[in-house]
Amino acid sequence: MVSLAEIPEKITSQMIVNQRQPGPEAEIERGMIEIDQLDFAYGGHQVLHDVSLSIRARAVTAFIGPSGCGKTTLLRCLNRMNDLIDSARITKGSIRIEGVDINTPDVDVVDLRRRVGMVFQKSNPFPKSIYDNVAYGLRIAGVTKRSLIDEAVEKSLRSSALWEEVKDRLHVSGYGLSGGQQQRLCIARALAVEPEIVLMDEPCSALDPIATAKVEELIRQLKEQYTIVIVTHNMQQAGRCSDHTAFFYLGRLIEFDGTAKIFSNPAQRQTEEYITGRFG
Amino acid sequence: MIAARHILGTFDEALSSLRNSVLMMSSLTERSLDRAITGLLERDDDMCAIAIADDEEIDQLEKQVDKDGIDLLLRFQPVASDLRRVVSAMKLSSNLERMADQGTNIARRARKLNQHPALPETELIKPMYAHAMAMFKDSIDAYVREDVQLARSVVPRDQPLDDMNSSAGRRLIERMAEDPAQLRGYLNLIFISRCLERVGDHATNMAEDAVYAAAAEDIRHQHLPAVNE
Repeated sequence: MVSLAEIPEKITSQMIVNQRQPGPEAEIERGMIEIDQLDFAYGGHQVLHDVSLSIRARAVTAFIGPSGCGKTTLLRCLNRMNDLIDSARITKGSIRIEGVDINTPDVDVVDLRRRVGMVFQKSNPFPKSIYDNVAYGLRIAGVTKRSLIDEAVEKSLRSSALWEEVKDRLHVSGYGLSGGQQQRLCIARALAVEPEIVLMDEPCSALDPIATAKVEELIRQLKEQYTIVIVTHNMQQAGRCSDHTAFFYLGRLIEFDGTAKIFSNPAQRQTEEYITGRFG
Repeated sequence: MIAARHILGTFDEALSSLRNSVLMMSSLTERSLDRAITGLLERDDDMCAIAIADDEEIDQLEKQVDKDGIDLLLRFQPVASDLRRVVSAMKLSSNLERMADQGTNIARRARKLNQHPALPETELIKPMYAHAMAMFKDSIDAYVREDVQLARSVVPRDQPLDDMNSSAGRRLIERMAEDPAQLRGYLNLIFISRCLERVGDHATNMAEDAVYAAAAEDIRHQHLPAVNE
């Protein structure tokens, strides 16, 4: 099975020429995502309708919308987590990451999920030490040299603003950390395998305000290196953390624009009604 | 047109209360200015005293509007049109309070004028007052009805009021030279003219805030053509 990282540049370029729409060629950036006319269904029930969206690299994009609008479904499409559900399938359209359609048969899903990491609503550290949680992905990928793993663990824990809090107890169980620390440990775990994109599904919904603030600050720092897509029910969080916001309703993308524009003067009536709390 | 009511009823109540406070301020300010000019034109010292006393209530309302506005921002974290309405209400109240201050200044000057024989040049004030009050009423009307067109029409009307002030000032200075015995009187009229010119400026600010609240457009510091240009 071919992983994305192994595809030679010339083949990648050819795929880009074959797959991209005619018109001015956009510069393809590391971590850039393009969703094109996507339909998605669980069995016979269609949950995404004709979604088209370009997610900018090294920026934070928030997905907002009422429960059941399809935002988490779309998020999970970006690293093919929905493949784990029997009846779930894309029925139309495509998702390209750095110009390559991620749903073609020759894409290595495992490698895709390395490159497109995910942090879930409820933090899910492994029943292992802090060190082993972060090292896990590297070991699975075949890294055995202790010094390399040590270096990667420290780098990831520093990147997730957790190092200073845990450096003296790396071999303590991850379960011994607070909720906010566990979430940052999960972020460190995702970062250890050097992704390009980090997906976050309501990462702060189970956290107290201080822990939330720490994770939001972390998101602000991470976007300098990673593309971040965050699903959130917290409108103020979307306003604080994100550069761009996409509003979904009943499986459709209603509006997508700069966050400041969406929250100050949205173009669509439905967006205004949702963000001002008139429905939802 | 977006749905009228928020899911959270207390949010609607708070917005409504803020709006009502601004409308109350507007009514009291209009009345205060009216009383001050009546005190001047009818040489009524009692009316002047009432106009001066009116200011206290308007000052307290300004503080209330600011307090309620901050409370709204804190509790409900409004966005989009709701945020613009709150911010505009707070800015409007500041302009209304300054207008009321101008009314107080007019009343104080009128009281001084009333201690001396009437000056015919007091007639210069009438058209200025009519013009300034028309701007005031239209700016508030535009805010209440979210009438962007009406609000925009107020802005270019400030220049003619400025011109009337300049013209009145020149005339009164001439009279000061011709009749130096009434110098203090003419000086008081110059200040009253200036107060009305300031009322026009505040009405312009309020109209600009009305456009912002309704249409998210900042039209400050632009040249807008008059309606018949």
